[in-house]
Amino acid sequence: MKTRKLSLIVLGILLMGNVSLQAEEIPDKEVVDNVSQAEAPAIEQPVSQADLEGVRGELAVLSDKLARQLDKNVAATTRSLKISGSTSSKYSAVQYTNKPGEYKSGFAPSSVSVSFKGNLKKDYDYGRDLNYVAGFSASATSTATSNTVPQDAYIQYSLLPTRDQELPTLTLQFGQQKRLFGLEAASTEEKQPVINGATFAGGSGLNLSPRDIGLQLKGDLFPTVDLGFGYRVPLIEYYLGVYNGAGANLPDTDTSRDILGRIVFNAPVGFYSPYKGLSFGSSFYKPGDVDITNAAGLKGRGSKFRYGQDISYVSAPIGFTAEYAVGRDENFSNSTASAVKTTTQSQGYTLTLFYSFGEQFLPNFKSQSRSDDWWPKTYEPFVRFDRWDPNTSVDNDHTTIVTYGLNVFFAETTKLAINYSLTDKLSTNLKQNDLVVQFQYSF
Amino acid sequence: MMKWIKILPVAVLLLMGVTVVSHAEDKPKVIRYGFNGNGLGRPFTGGVGGVINDKNLLEKEFAKDGIRIEKTFLASTGPGLNEAFASGLLDIAGFGDFPNIVGRAGGLKTRWILVGVRGDNSRIIVHPESNITSVKQLKGLRIGVAKGTWAQLWFAKILVVNGLTEKDVKVLNLKGSDATAAFVAGSIDAVVGGSLSLVDQGLAKILYESNKDPQSLRGRDGLLVTEAFAQKYPDIVKRIVKVNIQAAYWLSQPQNTAEYLRISGKTGGVYKDAKKDYLTHDLKVKWNPRLDKEAIDHYQAKADFCYANGYIRNKLDVEKWADKSFSEAALKELGLENYWK
Repeated sequence: MKTRKLSLIVLGILLMGNVSLQAEEIPDKEVVDNVSQAEAPAIEQPVSQADLEGVRGELAVLSDKLARQLDKNVAATTRSLKISGSTSSKYSAVQYTNKPGEYKSGFAPSSVSVSFKGNLKKDYDYGRDLNYVAGFSASATSTATSNTVPQDAYIQYSLLPTRDQELPTLTLQFGQQKRLFGLEAASTEEKQPVINGATFAGGSGLNLSPRDIGLQLKGDLFPTVDLGFGYRVPLIEYYLGVYNGAGANLPDTDTSRDILGRIVFNAPVGFYSPYKGLSFGSSFYKPGDVDITNAAGLKGRGSKFRYGQDISYVSAPIGFTAEYAVGRDENFSNSTASAVKTTTQSQGYTLTLFYSFGEQFLPNFKSQSRSDDWWPKTYEPFVRFDRWDPNTSVDNDHTTIVTYGLNVFFAETTKLAINYSLTDKLSTNLKQNDLVVQFQYSF
Repeated sequence: MMKWIKILPVAVLLLMGVTVVSHAEDKPKVIRYGFNGNGLGRPFTGGVGGVINDKNLLEKEFAKDGIRIEKTFLASTGPGLNEAFASGLLDIAGFGDFPNIVGRAGGLKTRWILVGVRGDNSRIIVHPESNITSVKQLKGLRIGVAKGTWAQLWFAKILVVNGLTEKDVKVLNLKGSDATAAFVAGSIDAVVGGSLSLVDQGLAKILYESNKDPQSLRGRDGLLVTEAFAQKYPDIVKRIVKVNIQAAYWLSQPQNTAEYLRISGKTGGVYKDAKKDYLTHDLKVKWNPRLDKEAIDHYQAKADFCYANGYIRNKLDVEKWADKSFSEAALKELGLENYWK
C-alpha cells in the first residue's frame, strides 16, 4: 500500500513537473502556429569548396561588369557633382473684364534651368567645406531664339564648423547669387505657394530679389535642437551682402556698392510646440546712388533705399505669411530747370494663407523605405492678396491682385499648380482675370 | 402635435439604430504602424518588427476583421517616427529608447506599451596604431557619433561611467559612411558604433564593446501607441501587443536564429558582423517584452540622465507613461505569463 502511495506521489510529481516544463518550453500552441516555423538552415552549416568558388565567380563577374561600365558608360568628374534642374509647362488664359470680348489664351513657352553643385574641399574634422554652385537658365524670347544665361555662379565656404547642430553656422558666398531680401527671395517652396512672386518684389516693383554679383554672409545664432525629432531652429538668422548693383551677368558700372541686410527671429521652441514655425523678419537694401536727370537738363545723383518687414507662421499643415516692403527713390520734382530733389515713396504688401492636405512638407516622413516610387500626395489650396502702390503720394494708382490656387504634389519633384488671379490696376484702368495651369518638374 | 408624437419614436429608433451601427463598427479601418527603416531604402527592418513584417503577422491577425495594415518604414528612424506621431500619421510604432523618451518628454501623447529589445550593443573603435586602451583616454579627442540616436545616449553614459562627460571630448555629429570616411582619413580619433568590417580590414581596433556591460548601460527599443488610439481601440491594441509578443517568443528560441539573421540581413547590415554580435546575447533576456520593474527603472534612469544633461527640457515620469495592461493581458492569453519571469 505504502509503495502504491509512494508511486502515485512520484508519478504525480513527475507529471506536474512535465506539465510545468512544457509550459516553460511551449507555452501555447498558438504562439508557435502563428509564427510560421519554416525550415531554417543551421547557422553553423559549413559551405563547400564549390559554394565558395561559385561566390568568387559571381564577384569576378560583378567586378568586370562594374569596371566595364565605369570605362564606357559612366560620366566622371574631377570633384563631386550633383546635377539638378527644373522646367515647367504652362497654359495660360487672360480675360480683360472691363474690355468685353478681349480674351487671350495659349500654351506658354517654357524656361529651363540646370544647376551643378558640388564640393571642392571636404573638411572631415569640422565640416568647414568649400562648395560650388554653377547654374544656367534658358528661356524663349519674343524673337523665338533661346536666351541662355548663367544664373547662380558662386563659391561657398563654411566659416564655422557645421558638424554639430547645436552650434551656430556662418557661410560666405562669393560670386553671382540671389539677393536675399525678404521672404520672397529667402524662402523655399514651403512658404511660397504662388507661381508668380509678389508685385513689389518683381521688375515692375522694387526689383528686390534678382541675382547680382558680390559677397554674401549667411549665418545663424542660438539654435534650438530637438534631437527626438531631428529638428533645428536658430533664434536668429542673418544675411549681409555687398554687391555691384549692376545685376546679373553685367560688369560693374560705378564705384558704389549695394548693401543688403536681413535678420530673422524664429520662435526658439521644440518640434511639438504650437509656436514652431513662427518667424519675424526685417530686411533693408541700400543700392548705390544713381545718376538722375530731367527734361530741362538738370543732372545729379539720386539715392535709393528699400526696407521691409515680414511675419510667417508655417507649421504643416497650416501656413500664413505677410510681407510689407517700402521703397524710397530720389528724383527731380518736375521737368523744369527749377526742379528740386524729391523722394518718391512706394510700398507693397502681400498676405498669403495656405493649407496642406498631405505630407509634402514633413521632411522625415518623406524619407520612407519602400519598394515602389511612392510620394505623399499633397493638395495645397491657397489664397494670396497682393497690393503694390508705386507712389504713396498719388491716389488711385495702385495695383491689387488676388490669387486663388491649388498646388498638387504627386511625385517627388513634380507639382501641378493652378492659379487664378483677379488683377485691378488702377493706374491704367486694367482689370483682368488670369488662369495659369502649370506643371513644374525638376530632376 | 399628434404628427410629431408619432414621428418622435421613429426618429428615436432611427437614432438608436445609427448608434448601434456605429458601435458595431467600432474598430479602425486601418492600423498605421511605423517601423525603423534602413539605408537601403527598402521596406525591411530588424528585431520584433522585422519578424512581424517578414511573416505578415499583423495582416494575418486582422484579416478576419477586414482591418488594413499600413506599414511605414522611415529611414530617418526615431526622429522621423516622432515627427509622424506628432503629425497624426501613425497609431503605433517601435523604435529606440532615446527618441522614445525625447518624443514623450517633448509632448507627444503616447503610451509605452511593450519593450522591443533589451541590450542592444554598440562599440567604440580607434585607430589600430593608437595607444588608447581605455575610455578615459578619449579625453580631448575627436569622436564621431550619430547624434539624436540611441548610440549618442549610450556613449554619453559610457563616458559618465568612466568619469567623463560629452564636454570632455570633441563630439562630431557623423553618421554611417561619413563617420567611416572621416575615421579612415584620420580626421577623427574614434567612432561610436564603428563598423566591424574596419576591424577585419585592419583599419581599426575595438576600444570598447558593450556586450559585457550591464543592461542599464545598453540600448533598448520600445513600442509606443498614441493615447487616442489606445483609448478608442483597447482590444485592437491588445491584439497588436499579442502579435509582438508572439514574435518576441519566436525570436527567443535559439533554433530560429539563422532565419532571423536572414530577415535582419535584408536591412543591409553585414551578415558576419550581425551574426557575431547576435550570438553574444542571451536570447530570452534580449527579447523579453515585459514592462517589468527593471524595464521601467531602466527607462526612468535614462530619462533622468537625458534631463540632467539637457537632452530633454521636462522631467519624465516613466511609471505614469508605461501602460502594462495590454502586455499583461496578452501574455496571459498566450500562456506566457511565466516564460519571462
